[in-house]
Amino acid sequence: MSQESSHQRPDFGRETALRGPFVFFFVAALVWLLAASALGLIAALKLWMPSFLNCEWLTYGRVTVVQKNLFIYGWATNALLAVNLWLLSRLTSFEFRNGWIAVFGGLVWNATLIYGVQQIFAGFLNGFSLLEMPREVGPVLAIAFLLAGFWPVVAFARRPSGHTFAAQWYVVGASFLFPIFYLIAQLLVLWCPASGVVQALVASWFVQNLLQLWLAASALGIAYYFIPKVLERPLAGYYLATVGFWTFFLFAGWTAPATLLGSPIPVWIQSVGVVAMVMSIVPIIITAINFHGTFAQNGGWANAWNSTSLRWVALGTISFTFVGLLRAIFYTRGYSAIIRFTEFYQGLDHLLVYGFVTMVIFGAAYFILPRVTGALWPSVKLIHVHFWSVTLALIVSTLVSLYGGYQTGLDLSKGAPQMIGGGKAHVLTAAAFLLGHAAFALNALGLIFRGLTSAENRQHD
Amino acid sequence: MKNLNLFLIGLFAAVAFPFGALIVSSQVQLGALGRAPAEEGGPLFPPREPGLAIQGRAVYLQLGCVACHTQQVRPAGMGSDIARGWGARPSVARDYVLQSQVLIGDHRFGPDLANVGARLTEAQLHEHLRAPSSVVAGSAMPAYEYLYQPKANGWAPTDRAVALVAYLKSLRQDYASPEAKLKQ
Repeated sequence: MSQESSHQRPDFGRETALRGPFVFFFVAALVWLLAASALGLIAALKLWMPSFLNCEWLTYGRVTVVQKNLFIYGWATNALLAVNLWLLSRLTSFEFRNGWIAVFGGLVWNATLIYGVQQIFAGFLNGFSLLEMPREVGPVLAIAFLLAGFWPVVAFARRPSGHTFAAQWYVVGASFLFPIFYLIAQLLVLWCPASGVVQALVASWFVQNLLQLWLAASALGIAYYFIPKVLERPLAGYYLATVGFWTFFLFAGWTAPATLLGSPIPVWIQSVGVVAMVMSIVPIIITAINFHGTFAQNGGWANAWNSTSLRWVALGTISFTFVGLLRAIFYTRGYSAIIRFTEFYQGLDHLLVYGFVTMVIFGAAYFILPRVTGALWPSVKLIHVHFWSVTLALIVSTLVSLYGGYQTGLDLSKGAPQMIGGGKAHVLTAAAFLLGHAAFALNALGLIFRGLTSAENRQHD
Repeated sequence: MKNLNLFLIGLFAAVAFPFGALIVSSQVQLGALGRAPAEEGGPLFPPREPGLAIQGRAVYLQLGCVACHTQQVRPAGMGSDIARGWGARPSVARDYVLQSQVLIGDHRFGPDLANVGARLTEAQLHEHLRAPSSVVAGSAMPAYEYLYQPKANGWAPTDRAVALVAYLKSLRQDYASPEAKLKQ
């Protein structure tokens, strides 16, 4: 593995203004990543051994809810706020003068998250996925996001030239839409609840928007930037990117009812969801042409494998294509009848949120952090530990969830008396994730510390 | 893509159209649903929740039970819920019209609870909560011992356990509704 981001002393002139906000968001993200990983291990242990840490504060229901919220709103969102900010500043030559506003928004975001998590542990939680935090949290998080995460839209509006890139479209789209669908979901689920099962439909609409239009869209922006940047070549079939972008955003919001097949909602709505889920294959194919087509040219895969940052992005894009195809196939009625409510669909979400979004964030971090801090990665060994532990854990945990979930569904349809859940494999993979994340956090914090101390020394000189 | 206003309008429309078509139309279609008799002049269903069950619903939420249990019976052909005896008929939207927060869930590590009140007695529910593995060997459910207090001849449920069981007993979809008749 070459260390292009480690051995090349980066230019950190333009990055100076971004250093404070970027480092703030990324350190916060690392803290939440470690917390979520530890809770993931505890949750896996509790499924394997139900008597493990059996007290009311740490019921499986609370631990797993906090783990998911910390991973999405703590790790992924903080990290994407940091990377999106850097990306749009790079692409638009936006001079970021008001970093304190973003940092203030980030402080409010993370303080509110701490409050929300503490409330969940205390037993004040709601029953809808990723909307479990108490309702007073929602509006505060939305305002904090506007302060911290709206800057890509501002940078896009103030760009000096008219030309735009696919990476910008995705990041601006994600940053613009998140507060809209987050507030609508909060309103219709927690503040003025919709009637009966419509709440469940709103909640699933929110989850699909969150996964696709915030997390995946931001990660697509990162992939569209880094692949041509690191490989130093144009994207294959780039003329298709516009179609890919609009079909991705158009179909995502319609896919929610496909996750509710068999639920007591109108059948025509379920059918619309299935059609949208199958149609979502269009942007999957286009992004596959753009990404994999570029990797396939002139030894691109080998170059990606030898790059500290791009190998993560390459693995992430493979996950994205794979999960997109699986979603189009397995969110149909025949398969849903067998595997709904099993861990199969959790495996698909895991592949999207971790296999794609998180892997791409890791790749971006290996590229950006040295440039922003002006320091080098302290340990190559820790980079290897990070890569191999999380990659193997991702492959094993995904296979176990997909195969195990499908097998559970088949067993249940044949009248098996007991649900099958958890198992040793999930404990081992959760431990491997924690190990990899600890290695990454140690390395990143060491790099940030080096960068900050050398910056101070430069100032004194 | 170059015109920011048009770009943002397009993005907004991409979220607004599915919201309008899926959610607003669902609210229009289902928002007026209320309690109804299965036959003219019959009792209204779903029944109102007793006060103790409302307290028990809060305990159900506090303990995070929704992470492992659903409350929806799928129709025949969309899973084996009815064949497994988890309900006498599929759940319909009307079953949930009185619930302030619908807890239909999206994952099952344990059985569906939409009709658990018709399947298990209070004593069975208490036993299952206090020591699940004594009821189902190898159960993945933890023992909620902290909801019970030891006494001379065994265990006494706390007020929260009583409320939780009252809530679970209130979960019944064993009545006919205009949309889903019970099979004779």
